[in-house]
Amino acid sequence: MSDESNSIKPGYEDPWPPVRGDYLVGTATCGVAVVTLASPIYPKGAAICGQCKTENLGVEKIVANVISNCNIRILILCGVESKGHLPGNTILALHRNGIDEQGRIIGSMGAIPFIQNLPAGAIERFQQQVQLVNCIGLEDIQQIEELIRRYDRYCQPYPSKPFQVIKRIVASRRISFGQGDISLGSRVVMDASAWIVTEEIAAKADAEG
Amino acid sequence: MFRFSKEQSIVNVAGVKIGGQCGQLPSVLCGTIFYQGQKIIADEERGIFDRTAAEKLVSRQAELSEETECPSVLHLYARSIAAFERYLDFAEQIWSGPFIIDSADAATRSAAALLVSENGLADKAIYNSISLATDEKEAQALAESEVDSAIILAYNPSQPGVDGSLAILEGGGSVCEKGLLTAAHEMGLRNLLIDPAVLPLGNGAGSALRFSVAAKARLGLPVGSGIHNAVSSWPWLRKKETMIRKGCDAAASAMQLLAAADFLLYGPIESAEIIFPAAALADILIAEAVRDLDIATSERHPIQRLV
Repeated sequence: MSDESNSIKPGYEDPWPPVRGDYLVGTATCGVAVVTLASPIYPKGAAICGQCKTENLGVEKIVANVISNCNIRILILCGVESKGHLPGNTILALHRNGIDEQGRIIGSMGAIPFIQNLPAGAIERFQQQVQLVNCIGLEDIQQIEELIRRYDRYCQPYPSKPFQVIKRIVASRRISFGQGDISLGSRVVMDASAWIVTEEIAAKADAEG
Repeated sequence: MFRFSKEQSIVNVAGVKIGGQCGQLPSVLCGTIFYQGQKIIADEERGIFDRTAAEKLVSRQAELSEETECPSVLHLYARSIAAFERYLDFAEQIWSGPFIIDSADAATRSAAALLVSENGLADKAIYNSISLATDEKEAQALAESEVDSAIILAYNPSQPGVDGSLAILEGGGSVCEKGLLTAAHEMGLRNLLIDPAVLPLGNGAGSALRFSVAAKARLGLPVGSGIHNAVSSWPWLRKKETMIRKGCDAAASAMQLLAAADFLLYGPIESAEIIFPAAALADILIAEAVRDLDIATSERHPIQRLV
């Protein structure tokens, strides 16, 4: 067996999950993931379980970790909603409607519901790979664990490779020195936008002349 | 350190001055009380809390402020308007300085702005915050209130980074019809404080530092941030001992001040003990660094008191 095949396990690649966060990892081959929103509860038995308090970066992390494991077919939303941010409502909206051209999650009631670090393909994959179980408000750990067991029985891995999220690569741009708008004294100035420190041009010319 | 070629405005909220050139004024330090999960709160929805413990925290911030000469602001966070009403009643009795109105819930923030106006406290209030999430209803409430000071959150998720943050302030970028600065003026807000919106460490927290300098150079407005969010969002650090976490909190605060911040939303008011000395240290170093840049340090400043 080659080294490559050794490093690939069914449905996900080590190390999984790829994105760090506040969560507990269970059995990675389980078909269920759990988001407990603002409730600090950790039911057992799921592939991954953790809180989500924000409607933008928090949601992105969930999507990235879920789609990188093909075994996960069910995402249970439970716990108390985070007031104002509404990440639970936002995950439901993302799954149902996706995002617009600006990255805004269509139909979310959250304060700033934007996806900024995931490619469009990741959202589509999230929509196709998992089904959501809306139990927002449920905090009873035993009931949640029963849901995990019940749904896990019927889960089959998503028939594709794990989707690894790669951060958007921002096109590099040539940075040129503009007008120094900050003085550091001794004829040294800085362009605050480009963050370039240099000698004042006139001073340099005098010195060279 | 450096001197901005653009004139740096100074806002005055209830006698506390915020802004100016680096080293001119002491840093203004804003500690949060009644935040989510704070041990002194018994009921976040109703605003039931341990009054004695709360008084102790507010008094300690005031003492440290007096000792270091770094002015302080009381950052009131409320989950509901019922809770805010109780918190405001408490603050009114023991705190005479400026305070910040804050909630994750827009309806609570709006109602709080109207409440402080009814109570004659609007001139002491700083609204947190105006952002791309501010809708017409919230804008209308603010326009009807007498609050004229606000933090403007330069968070632009469609264009992360310094350019995007400046774009949302000035023109709205691709996500707002108009720039947040223009929108704030239309709501009757005059004292504007810019907050870069600190993202979690690893998601671009560091750009808040560069943005702080760029925003002051471009806009000439006071800038500050909740840089402690970068520290508290770092999972690796969370497993470390309290002393190590506090050390990082102090270091992050000093770094933000070195990057031209005028104020700090330093997080839980319990952190006052470590933040005030760290900020005073940064203020003194900065004041010494700009001495020959033709910047006069104010008479009330850590450098005049602690060295």
